[in-house]
Amino acid sequence: MFSRIFSVFVTTLIFSTYIYAQTGAPSDSSGGTPPQGMRGTPVNLPDISVVGVLKGYVSDDKSDTERNKFVVDEIETAFQGYIYPEMRADVFLALHRHDNEYEAEICEAKVGFLNLAPGVAGEVGKIHVNFGKMNKVHSHTRPMIDQPTVLTNFFGDHGLVGQGGTLSYLLPVPFYLQMEGGAWRADPHHHHTEYETVEVPDGNGGTVEVLTEAAHEDTEFSFGDEFYTARAKTSFAPVRKSEIEIGSSFAHGKGAHYEEHKDIATVYGADLTLKLWPDSYRRWTFQNEWLRLKREVPVGTLTRDGFYSFLSYRFNKYVDLGGRWDYAENAFPTKVIERAISGILSYHLTETSALRVQYKRRRVEGQTINEGWTELVFGIGPHSHELE
Amino acid sequence: MISKLIFSALLMFSVSGLHAAVRVITSSQDLESIAKIIGGDKAVVESLATGDLDLHLVEPRPSMVFKVRQADMVIRIGMDLDMWMDSIIAAARNKNVTYGSPGYVDVSAGIPKLQVPEGKVDASMGDIHIFGNPHYWLDPVNGISMAETIMKGFIRVSPENEAVFRKNYTAFVKDLGDKIDEWDKKMEPFAGRTLVTYHNSWIYFSQRFHLDIVGNVEPKPGLPPTPSHLAKLIETVKAKQAKVILVDTFFPLQGPRKVAEKTGASILVVPSSVGGKPNVKNYFDLFDAIINELVSAFNK
Repeated sequence: MFSRIFSVFVTTLIFSTYIYAQTGAPSDSSGGTPPQGMRGTPVNLPDISVVGVLKGYVSDDKSDTERNKFVVDEIETAFQGYIYPEMRADVFLALHRHDNEYEAEICEAKVGFLNLAPGVAGEVGKIHVNFGKMNKVHSHTRPMIDQPTVLTNFFGDHGLVGQGGTLSYLLPVPFYLQMEGGAWRADPHHHHTEYETVEVPDGNGGTVEVLTEAAHEDTEFSFGDEFYTARAKTSFAPVRKSEIEIGSSFAHGKGAHYEEHKDIATVYGADLTLKLWPDSYRRWTFQNEWLRLKREVPVGTLTRDGFYSFLSYRFNKYVDLGGRWDYAENAFPTKVIERAISGILSYHLTETSALRVQYKRRRVEGQTINEGWTELVFGIGPHSHELE
Repeated sequence: MISKLIFSALLMFSVSGLHAAVRVITSSQDLESIAKIIGGDKAVVESLATGDLDLHLVEPRPSMVFKVRQADMVIRIGMDLDMWMDSIIAAARNKNVTYGSPGYVDVSAGIPKLQVPEGKVDASMGDIHIFGNPHYWLDPVNGISMAETIMKGFIRVSPENEAVFRKNYTAFVKDLGDKIDEWDKKMEPFAGRTLVTYHNSWIYFSQRFHLDIVGNVEPKPGLPPTPSHLAKLIETVKAKQAKVILVDTFFPLQGPRKVAEKTGASILVVPSSVGGKPNVKNYFDLFDAIINELVSAFNK
């Protein structure tokens, strides 16, 4: 079912782009500087860039195997360019560090159709899904080192990523209003299984050791197999040098451990962001995001909530100071609430490189854990800004 | 309720279809000022950035996307100064204003560019623009080329009003020519004077008025001043007898103050764009303000 929808979707996108490109009016307005991705080097290379993340982490949680280390956390390469008029490809390949090992991964690989019809754009490929404010942002462009806990609990360590397609429409209303819908597939997770040895009678009066699957429930959650998303976002500037963004998001589909848990999940999201620019460099950011997970399992429906609130002030061209408050319930099985506060200080060396430190104090099941990070993010090569 | 909303949307569509004036969005108020003159009453022009902002670092916003979505024409500085326009234009999905469309106007197209880097360019050189120094609007003679490029854009988008645009362009060129003569005369006595600028944004201006920039407060473009760089700059200012430190309105003053304290040079905080100060309302005001400030400082 999903494959058929996806095939029809991609065919329609490509055909629409072809038709639209043929009707584009020729003009002599192409002088000047080509935009990013259209630099047209003599050998027709795409824009190529590398982003590296060096990260140090300390914690007073002695069970944390990642603590007290300074490591290369991520190296991401980007290849970006146009493949057809108003059709561009963006490929992000990454080496991530997981559990003391490096894993190669296609972080994102997508083809974007910039102008399918008036106000309509689309993307197909492996994509960070546009859910809420933070999920689409790559980790090194976040204004903080760690991901808000609610996103980790409901979408996993890398957020909500799917293979599929999305269509967005900028509505012809007298203010900014964009609607977006996507259909996706994500690989189901390998169910974490623990085994234990038990002694059972051998029928001869003795016993024999048998390996059996232990009773266990995974606490992690994300979507797997087919899932569908939608987002609506509006934005306006109440006064000059200000911006208010309001969004609502929706995701529905099977859980990543569907084979074991038989769970159908829905996540609702709402976000509100206020930005103020007192002058050229100073900026206030107040960003809030709330998510609710409803998970239907054979024994009933679980409802879990999570929220973060982030307040940041940019003092000048180089320095940001911010704080974040997290409230997050875990996705499964029994409810565990985590509350945390974080302080984040960033120093921007250039537009593509930054030094950052973060302190986080979190409280889970009566236990208080103190954590700290240092991070150096560096960028080499052309860099393209995306709307946050 | 739903039928009312649908009716409102249809009404808005029909009204927008009947819109007579060319709707123009510019990336800076300098371009807005010139476009308003060329477009006259046949255009409605609005700038996304204000003149008190550092044009390198304007943050793209959805409300800007909405404005570009409705535009018939977009006018930008180019040369990687207003790179933030790329993401706004892409997000707006307006075929009238995408790169190569009739309504896409990059004013740098006809400009004789200065400081175009040769050989390898990387971040060790600071925030170097690979297509050259992009602050070309600060040479008023370049204003003529900018106006011509903008006029051609208007004619492509609204050919029925070509005569109006050409007439407005001719009047602008004459007025600007008269003002350039006036500014040349004011600045003539100060040819060869040395000065320091905060950022490397005054090369076009200094070349036009024969000034000699002997150093920048930034050690390299876009990088904050370091104590060692300021120490060297103080020596340079003393050796070259620079009396003026020219600072765009949005840059911090700590570095220039240190240099001024040690050398006795005057700090001149001047607008580098229309809107940079409240009294700088158009392209002519911009040079009036800069040149009047400079003349006063040089006469001290």
